[in-house]
Amino acid sequence: VSRGAAQPDAARVEDLLRALAPRVLGALVRRHGQFDACEDAVQEALLAAALQWPRDGVPGDPQAWLLTVAGRRLVDGWRAESARRAREESVAAAAPADAGIAPGADAAVVAPVVEEDDTLTLLLLCCHPALSPPSQLALTLRAVGGLTTAEIAAAFLVPEATMAQRISRAKASIKKAGATFTPPPEAERAERLRVVLHVLYLMFNEGYVASGGAALARAELTGEAIRLTRLLRAQLPGDGEVQGLLALMLLTDARRAARVDARGELVPLAEQDRAAWDAGEIAEGVALVQDALRRAPLGPYQVQAAIAAVHAEAARAEDTDWPQIVALYRVLERVGGTNPMWKLNEAVAVGMARGPAAGLSLLEGLDGALAESHRVDAVRAHLLELAGDAAGAHDAYRAAARRTTSLPEQRYLERRAAALPQG
Amino acid sequence: MKYLMMIYDNATTRETFLGPDGAELMAEMEALMAELTASGEVIGQGALADPSNTKTIKLVDGAPAVTDGPLAEAKEHFGGWLLLECETPERAQEIALRFPSARFTPIELRPLMNGDGAEM
Repeated sequence: VSRGAAQPDAARVEDLLRALAPRVLGALVRRHGQFDACEDAVQEALLAAALQWPRDGVPGDPQAWLLTVAGRRLVDGWRAESARRAREESVAAAAPADAGIAPGADAAVVAPVVEEDDTLTLLLLCCHPALSPPSQLALTLRAVGGLTTAEIAAAFLVPEATMAQRISRAKASIKKAGATFTPPPEAERAERLRVVLHVLYLMFNEGYVASGGAALARAELTGEAIRLTRLLRAQLPGDGEVQGLLALMLLTDARRAARVDARGELVPLAEQDRAAWDAGEIAEGVALVQDALRRAPLGPYQVQAAIAAVHAEAARAEDTDWPQIVALYRVLERVGGTNPMWKLNEAVAVGMARGPAAGLSLLEGLDGALAESHRVDAVRAHLLELAGDAAGAHDAYRAAARRTTSLPEQRYLERRAAALPQG
Repeated sequence: MKYLMMIYDNATTRETFLGPDGAELMAEMEALMAELTASGEVIGQGALADPSNTKTIKLVDGAPAVTDGPLAEAKEHFGGWLLLECETPERAQEIALRFPSARFTPIELRPLMNGDGAEM
């Protein structure tokens, strides 16, 4: 441990640990194989560092420290497992000779760190298609994000033991699927990357929709999703969709402070206080999406970011360029295929651009595709209200309110229904 | 995703499970509970006393009125519950179907409301 190091605060140590987590895990897996065991070992090393570094100072080469400690934990784990005695011999021989808890100042000499960033390979593994989305999210947060199981459990509002089991099932599924720590074959790469982007998008959204008492724990998810997407962009600087996703997240996150009021009630886009939008995030998001559109092949995240940018650039709700948004939804369908949720949003835009009747006619046929969702009724209610059909709007708001499993959405929808003149 | 799994009983359910022929059913239920506790998917549970122990509480014209039990004997009654945390809705249904009492009486699966709200 470096002597001269100032006492670092816990938050700085945490940022450092999260940045190092995927590098250390990547290096360890490349050396020893066994993603499952290595991931546990790195998690233990991160926990040890989170305890020791704020107290003793950050080591001169923090990455080497983590790699050495994780390597030892890995070997300890193997030693404990008598069934693996045969393997233990060769690994123990290759492991650093000193067996203390923390490595000394010579850690860098003992465990030279291979300077290679495995973040992308790790993301592809954690977002393996054999896993359910909740498992992909949890494993990505732990293995790539460096979050502890307790932090992930708090963010998803589940007991820590439940999250620990979910993560260990996820790792077992990856093993069972025969996945290894190597980039997928070229033929599968685009599709696998698409899954990674979707998982990052889900992670962002989990945090963005949070409100009330849970908001603080869950808000960490949006920050983490943005941070991981930035990491991914650093690995794939030429990929327009990665950049588009980052832009979409920033342009959406910019509205965070305005999307709920002081009492925690949802505020619809049209009624948000636009002065509360984050101008810095908007400027960065707009620049990113413009740059991507200029130089990269077009993709759905870029188009969605472009739509978010049109909203962001309207000083008042009534200044929104709805015809442009409608045009962008047509582009979105061309590049991204048919997606009922996009179609639903397009119906809103069409309703605003050409009148509610045109929007309502777009809703026809969506009831089947989104049968489980309350959103078709919510949009129908909104368009009927615009059309002046108070009774129809009332029934549709109530139908949506019954169907949703979200308390804030239910309150919002019931409020809208109650505010309509009774026929 | 959190679900309340509501387990319904009828007049003979507990006799079926606790009587001499219920050993296999009980063993099956205990094994399933152990499995779901280990997997972290059961995050709460409770069994209810027989409906005859119920008090019904009402305010009648502002005055409290406490009566014994529900008046009508229902064919089936709420007997116990599990609080589940599942990765998918399909998984919650799979768990409910494996619960041994499902062979005799229905199980209801109700999602819990959450505090998340999408932008409207």
